[in-house]
This record gives sequence, structure tokens and C-alpha cells, in this order.
Amino acid sequence: MVKHMKQLIAAVLVLLIPVCGIAAGAVTLAYTGSTNLVTQDSAPDNSLLADAGTTSPAGTVAEDDDLPFMDDDDTVLDVYDPLETVNRGIFWFNDKMYFYVMKPLARGFRYVPEPWRVSLKNFFNNLYSPVTIINAALQGKFADAGNELTRFATNTTLGIGGLFDPSKEHFGIRAKEEDTGQTLGHYGVGPGPYLVLPFLGPSNLRDGIGLFADTRMDLAYYIWGKDKDNYDYLGVVAIKMINNLSLDKDTYEGIKKDALDPYLFVRDAYAQYRQNQIDK
Amino acid sequence: MLKNMLMVLTLGTMFAFPVHGSAETSPTQTVHESVDTILALLRDNTLEKADRRAKIRANVKARFDFEAMSQRTLATNWKKASEQERQQFIDLFSQLIENTYIGKIEAYTNEKVEYPGEKVKGNKAVVETLIIAASADIPVDYRLYKKDDAWLVYDVIIEGVSLVSNYRSSYQEIVMKEGFGGLLAKMQEKVDELQNEPAPAPADTATST
Repeated sequence: MVKHMKQLIAAVLVLLIPVCGIAAGAVTLAYTGSTNLVTQDSAPDNSLLADAGTTSPAGTVAEDDDLPFMDDDDTVLDVYDPLETVNRGIFWFNDKMYFYVMKPLARGFRYVPEPWRVSLKNFFNNLYSPVTIINAALQGKFADAGNELTRFATNTTLGIGGLFDPSKEHFGIRAKEEDTGQTLGHYGVGPGPYLVLPFLGPSNLRDGIGLFADTRMDLAYYIWGKDKDNYDYLGVVAIKMINNLSLDKDTYEGIKKDALDPYLFVRDAYAQYRQNQIDK
Repeated sequence: MLKNMLMVLTLGTMFAFPVHGSAETSPTQTVHESVDTILALLRDNTLEKADRRAKIRANVKARFDFEAMSQRTLATNWKKASEQERQQFIDLFSQLIENTYIGKIEAYTNEKVEYPGEKVKGNKAVVETLIIAASADIPVDYRLYKKDDAWLVYDVIIEGVSLVSNYRSSYQEIVMKEGFGGLLAKMQEKVDELQNEPAPAPADTATST
């Protein structure tokens, strides 16, 4: 019985993680991050756009005729979403979890002074450094890998175990973001079907697999993941997510408020966000 | 005091010559000026809320080319739409974009904004800005084009996500499923909803549920 409770709690925590991730990432997303399912076979879209830009609209708005906008700087990502019905269900579930569980917890966290919460975030980010270092190196971005290694060494020592970020504050070395999903994308692996993960939010097959690999490079996993069932690690991840959410400026609320269809908004934003990260 | 005077002068100038900038104004200067003006309005406690929103709105309107944005957002659907539908779309879309953009800026009122660089190519430009917040740095890029010697914003890219592209994919899907009329009806509904809502609380004490 007790064991089952534990599993239940663990399951809930795991679910919560995605939501937080969504909120924190995409959003600013916000507007938000996403799993990219770019189907290359959707070329007709692009040609249509180019068309729209270069031909004069049939209407009478004369000024429109010379807007050469559509051709160059836009890529439209068509998201491959064969599981939309299921995804929308999970999206609905995550939405409820966000407003009734995660957000109230995050609001409670806000009683802790912000600098402390920023330190906690720094601490977890520092433990996560191997993910960035390894993936930057795997993509042949050795300058970025060195940059991250320097940050890790500096922040672990001068930054007192990663609580502070002297690399950025004093030396101007800013963090890069790399992960296994990006590495796969870098080598041409497409996003696969779009997935909304329970608790974790927008993802896709490629990034979901990447996320699993990432946890195996997270030092927190080796510190707290020793018990067979990983409950401690899941707890740590949940704390990390809630803390990050407490620092987030209501990105998801903004999306809910502005978007005609928040599901589509998050899905498309995630695709763009990830493609942008991969292209960098 | 002197500072306030300068502020008044600056604001006065902005309003007196809303859309423009001389030929020599660079894209970065243009964005810098607009962002500073909007932030100053947000920080000015002497303004009534409604008054402040109206002033911010006027600034955004002067700097954003909503027609170009609408055209890009609708893409092929723009060609198919009637003149009346286009006007209706521009009107609704500008209200939604203003709201999204202002909401975003409001959340970061007290943060510093840096201008790491710009790229100019012919009559188009991208101005990079970086909002430096305690917990994260948020890249916000503005795409501008030159129209009658003034630089106008036609897209905003927040953390790699273009507002216009993002709206385009969602809107396309809605048009496909519900037709152009369905899209306009949904937009109208959203605009009404936003107008009936009380002014947003500051992010850190937000009680939105």
C-alpha cells in the first residue's frame, strides 16, 4: 500500500515536470518552446507563401503590392501531429495540473526571496552542465563545449557549488543551451510525431528520447538517483520545475489569454523554438 | 527635474512626429527609442492605468505596421479575402498583437534591455535586443523594413519564436477547419474577452488562475 502511494506520487511528479518545462521554456514564450515536427514534404506551403509575397494582391490596397516579405525570412514549420486527439487530451490534463497543482505550489515558492530561488535554479543548472558540454562537443561545437566547461569549473568553485553565476556576472560568459534532442536534430534526425507528454508538455519523439538521455548526463541523477526507483531524483526534478515556474512571469497564462487555440499556439511555438535552437 | 523635463520633451517629440525618424535614424535607434518610451510609460506611476495603456498603444501603433503583419500572417488566405475582410482582420489582429506584445513587455518592466546588434540588408533589418532578468536573459528580435524613410516593425521574435509565423500556422488551421468567417468570429470573441477583463496584476503577485 505504502509502496503504491509512493509510486503514485512519483508518477504525479513525473507528470508535472513537463508542464513546468513548457511554461518555462516556451513561453517566453513563450511564447514558448516546442517539439518540432517539420515535415519536409510540405513544400507547397512555402511556394504558396512566396507566391503571396511576389504577386500583387487582387485587392485594392496599393501599398501591399510592393511588400516583398514572404519570400526570404520565413520558414513555416508544418507540425506532424497524427496523435492530435490524444495530445489534446493530455494538453487538457496538463492545463488542469498547471492551474490546480503546479501554479499554486509555485506561488507558495514565491514566499522565498527571489535571489534564493535564483540560486537554487543556478545550482540545478550547474549540475545539468554535462548535458550541455557533452552535446556541444558531440555537435563539434568545441568552443561552446569549452565555454560550458569553463562555466562549470568557475561556478562550482567561485560560485560555491553552483549557487551563484560568477561566469556570467563577472566574466561575461553566458550559458549556451544544448541537449540530446538538438544533437539528433543537428545530424538530420527529424522531430517525428508531435507529443504532449503528461506533466512535461510539448515534445516530439526525437526530443522525448533526447530528454531521457539527458537525464543520464545530469549530475543530479547520480547524486539523487541511486535508489532503484529514482523517486528521489524525480522529487528533485519536481522541485526544480516548481522553482523555475516560480521565477517564470506567467508565460502560460499569457498564452491562454492571447491565443485563439492555445494547443495550436504551443505546438507551433515549440516547433519554431526547437528548430531555432537546432539551427544555432 | 531636468530628467523629467527631458522625458517630457522626448515624449512630446515622439507624439508630434509619430511614425518617422529621419532618413539617418538607424533601425536600432528606432527600436531603442520606442522601447525606452514604452518602458518609461510603464514605470510612470503618475499615469492612470487606462491613460497609460492608451499612450502605450499609440506608440506601438506608430511603430508596428499591422497591415504588413496581417498580410504575412494570412499569406495565401490574404489573397482570397475580400477588401472588407482584410480590413476587419487588420483591425482585430492589431488589437491581439498589441495585447500580446504589451503584456510581454509589462512583465519585464523593471529589467534592463541590451542591444547586442543589428543586421541591415537593403530596406530590411533585424534588431536584436536582450532582456536581462535575474533568472534568465530573453532574446527579443525585431524585424523592420523601411517605408518612406522610417523603419517599421513587421515581426517580433521572442526566443526564436516569430509572432507572425506562430499566428500563421494556427490561423491557417482554423481557416481550413472553419473558414475565414470562423476565424474572424473567433478573433472578435477573443478581443471582446480581452476588453472586458480587468487590468492585469503585476506578474509577481499574479493571481490569475
